[in-house]
Amino acid sequence: MEKENKLNDDTLGEIKPVETNPIDNATDDTKGDSKGIAQSELVIMLSGYLNKLIRNSVLRIVVAKIILVTAIVLIVFFIFSYFLYIVPSLQEIGTRQQELTNNNELKNGPEYKKQINTLSKDVQRLSRKFTAYTPGQSYLVINTTDNRFLLYRNKKLVRDGYCSSGSYTRLSTAEGTRHWIFKTPKGEFWIQQKITKPLWIRPDWSFVEEGLPIPAPNDESRFEYGVLGDYAMSLGDGYLIHGTLYKRFLGMPVTHGCVRLNDDDLEAIYNTLNIGSKVFIF
Amino acid sequence: MEEDLKHGPGKLKIAVYAITALFILIMIYYAIMAMISPSVRISAINGEFGFKAPENSVVDQRIFSDSSFVRLNRVKAFSQARITMAETDSIGLALNLSDSTAILEINGVEVHRAKLSEIHISKVLITADEYAVSAMLSTPFTIKEDFSTIKKEPVMIKIAPKDTSEYQPDILPDTARIEAVNYMLEMENGIRLYVSQQKDEEGGGLRKYLFDINDRFKNIAAIFRKIIVFEVPEYHPAIRIKMDRTDARIIYRALPRHGQVAIYR
Repeated sequence: MEKENKLNDDTLGEIKPVETNPIDNATDDTKGDSKGIAQSELVIMLSGYLNKLIRNSVLRIVVAKIILVTAIVLIVFFIFSYFLYIVPSLQEIGTRQQELTNNNELKNGPEYKKQINTLSKDVQRLSRKFTAYTPGQSYLVINTTDNRFLLYRNKKLVRDGYCSSGSYTRLSTAEGTRHWIFKTPKGEFWIQQKITKPLWIRPDWSFVEEGLPIPAPNDESRFEYGVLGDYAMSLGDGYLIHGTLYKRFLGMPVTHGCVRLNDDDLEAIYNTLNIGSKVFIF
Repeated sequence: MEEDLKHGPGKLKIAVYAITALFILIMIYYAIMAMISPSVRISAINGEFGFKAPENSVVDQRIFSDSSFVRLNRVKAFSQARITMAETDSIGLALNLSDSTAILEINGVEVHRAKLSEIHISKVLITADEYAVSAMLSTPFTIKEDFSTIKKEPVMIKIAPKDTSEYQPDILPDTARIEAVNYMLEMENGIRLYVSQQKDEEGGGLRKYLFDINDRFKNIAAIFRKIIVFEVPEYHPAIRIKMDRTDARIIYRALPRHGQVAIYR
């Protein structure tokens, strides 16, 4: 019985509707008072709710837990934000940038003119020195990430197009005793040799890659004509710029370290570059 | 209840209060030490690169804030850095923050140019003494380490077939073409260059956020490592730039592990 009474006490009662609305009955003169009455009724209503909430122990526990969890989440969020964003932002708040001046009195002084003159000469000298790094003769630029080439003559771009460069494949023998990495070297190179109708002497990896036994160094099976196109230019260490039978792969990183070009581009580059011409690979 | 009130809060409550107070103190200590670090860095730059008047001569130091002098001095510093970089026989990056360009150079020859879409520079590089910063930027910075969402060299492992029956010609695409490109290059002098692809490109949102969070956690760990031994943490002035994803990837892959970077403000 006691329990029943308690439950009745604990359950939220219905809110009794306000029978008369003071605002509706208020005249213009009493508007301020009626507003106050309405507010006090709202306060009474809310306090009634709160009283019932406080008396309802189950609800009280639930609300307390929700508040606790929310507080923990907010604290954790604040701590993370504090270390991740707030402190780094505070680090960037600081003193103002040094202001630049334009003092005429200073500018008219002989010391100032001397300093500026020296500085201007230095800038011109350095600029000339830097410009001299770019070759006046023809040179080739190869972009191995995008597999594109740029051909320059007299410091002007005269031709660009697709090429193929190293595939970044690491080939190991089945036994793991030998391995090769097929990548195109980066940096500054120069044309060391120009070859027409090049002959490809198949290296060991070419046989290993296809699961073939490695023949003797001068074995006939190592010599192949026609696979490198009509021309080849040597960059040293066995790296060549040459043609290809696999033109559909141009623009992709598929080679064993050499640079492949299509026939027209190869011919144009072959005719433009001389022995000693620079090749920049990046 | 009354008993509790009479005997004060329990041991658990005391422990909770103590831990909370300790944690708040740690947070305040962390913030103070972290906020001191940029000033320490500015002082170090000013001390190392600031103008030192030669003996027996008087230099009107007002010239160091004169607009014409500053402009020429910055150009001179950048040219000097690029020339030094050109003479290292390597691939270098010249960052011109003034005209928003990043230029890849091999021995002084421009081989690739990229447009920067966004630039943010740490206050150290803005508020430190103008002359000192120009002097610091007159030599290229060497990359000490990097941290990236893409591989520097996307090497694929291939085991050779035992015989011709196992041989399969394979063409594997470079997956980096669709990967988000975000990386950080840390220079030997502590300056960090953050390069990100533009936001609107695929993978620019969440991947960039994860990269950023990862980097921030590393910084927090580094700061804690210093402050627990009561040392001022190292402050890393940062330059954050955004560019086209293709350009960002080209620059990252082209630069050697310990490549050089020249900067013009």
